[in-house]
Amino acid sequence: MEELMSRAGGKVPTRERLSQLAVSETGFIFDPQTGQSFSVNPTGLIVLDLLKRGSTLDVASNSLADRCGIPTEIASSSVEAFILQLGRYL
Amino acid sequence: MNNETKKLVWEPPFIQPHRMGEINKFGRARLHDNSKSSVYGVSVIELLRRFGSPLFVTSEKQIRTNLRNTKKAFERRYGSVVHGWSYKTNYISAVCNIMHQEGSWAEVVSAFEYEKARALGVPSNRIIFNGPNKPKFIIERAVAEGAQIHVDHLDELQLIESVAREQDKVVPVVLRLNFDTGYTEPWSRFGFNIESGQAHQAAKMIALSSHLNLTGLHSHIGTFILEPRAYAEQVRIMCKFMRELESNEDFCIDTIDIGGGFASQNALQSVYLPPEQVVPSINEYADAICTALLEGTQYRRQIGRELPRLIFESGRAIIDDAQSLITTVVGTKRLLDGRRAAILDAGTNLLFTAYWYNHQVHTTKPSEGTIADTVLYGPLCMNIDVMRHSVQLPPLSQGDNLVFSPVGAYNNTQWMQFIEYRPNVVLVHESGECSVIRMCEDLSVMMQQDRLPEHLSMPFPDTVAMNRVLNGSTIARRS
Repeated sequence: MEELMSRAGGKVPTRERLSQLAVSETGFIFDPQTGQSFSVNPTGLIVLDLLKRGSTLDVASNSLADRCGIPTEIASSSVEAFILQLGRYL
Repeated sequence: MNNETKKLVWEPPFIQPHRMGEINKFGRARLHDNSKSSVYGVSVIELLRRFGSPLFVTSEKQIRTNLRNTKKAFERRYGSVVHGWSYKTNYISAVCNIMHQEGSWAEVVSAFEYEKARALGVPSNRIIFNGPNKPKFIIERAVAEGAQIHVDHLDELQLIESVAREQDKVVPVVLRLNFDTGYTEPWSRFGFNIESGQAHQAAKMIALSSHLNLTGLHSHIGTFILEPRAYAEQVRIMCKFMRELESNEDFCIDTIDIGGGFASQNALQSVYLPPEQVVPSINEYADAICTALLEGTQYRRQIGRELPRLIFESGRAIIDDAQSLITTVVGTKRLLDGRRAAILDAGTNLLFTAYWYNHQVHTTKPSEGTIADTVLYGPLCMNIDVMRHSVQLPPLSQGDNLVFSPVGAYNNTQWMQFIEYRPNVVLVHESGECSVIRMCEDLSVMMQQDRLPEHLSMPFPDTVAMNRVLNGSTIARRS
């Protein structure tokens, strides 16, 4: 995560920030800090849930790769991109 | 397989902020479903099953209705009116013949278009021959057959006179004019300029010729003209010029041709407001033109001369909304900036007008999911192959269909034979029956015009020699 933070200019949300989000099981997200709402797709929901529970990038990537039956490398780069995207909105 | 072991469909994780109802420069985000499962009354699924994708679908009923309404708007205000069907707008044979069956003449701008009109059976005296490039062979034919020739420049005028002399004829000609109406950018590259005296000089040359007779005036002030008063000013200037000519020379002008340029219900990328707010109705155009024409020809009524015939060469306003393009999504993406993107099987190779219009885009099934800003790309290996840079659409998947409209003007003529085959164009008849009016291309069409010199007949000559060795033919010949 540290490497990711330096690439993203420090804009990677912390676990505490993520835990503020209200996330429904259908992927609807409400951010009480800004009042904004979002939708995540099913794979995004899995990753967000893992990150909120404190999973590392590797754990989240492996878990996603396993759930979708895809190579870990693909899952890893997608999870990285997703975390950076979260940083832009949160 | 139970739910625990079932794999999730892979899609990169993505978060989308909600911007429901937010105002942007395109207006309020579309919240209602605007899908259409049929085009001109025919099911999209059925059309694609029969004719493949992409597919241009043309409506005979819409063409005839548009043309009848347009002609009626002019005829009831002025009387003697002729519509010249601008071939370059869409010269698919069936489209041209629908126009001709409705009484439209052929307005052609090249040897090819002239030959096409004649091949379709259009009588030569119902051909308006415009355009800046008329080679001698086609002028000879047009003079011999009696087409209405519009003169673009002095060299052409001299050529027509020499052909007329060779054929020992007096050829009626129409002078193409250009001038500043104050409303539109003057198109000074076509015809003779009035303000500089070029037009008067050309008229004098015609008057001095024993083989030419000036019978008409023509001008075309531009394209997609949104201001009817521009046409009123055009007609006023043309009538003033006509009166000057008729008082100074022994001319009797029997035709005033105002060209085309009426806007269609399409959205120009450079125009902020939607077409329903900025495009004048055909009655507004007709009102401005016919009022100015009746005023400008008042002097002829006073001296008991017939009013000149009014010719208008509207293309876009007649055909644009009579054709739609059905496309299929071949893949989807997320762009780096978070926007959705879809790659379609039709691009600017087929929809050339996507370079300047924001065409309407409809899905063909009810929307599911959040509507969001989407970029639509074509199939070409070119960055500029963009069908829509920004359009509000529900999530798209491979195999979904999108309908682009209106697309009838300038696409079946300006489309490019580039990278992809061009697809079928079908006509929905007034009866509802559908038929192909232009066949899709295949490899034989693409290679038909190629010629291979003998020494280039094989792409890899060395492999041919090797094959001969391997199958013994070389050895056999030596022995």
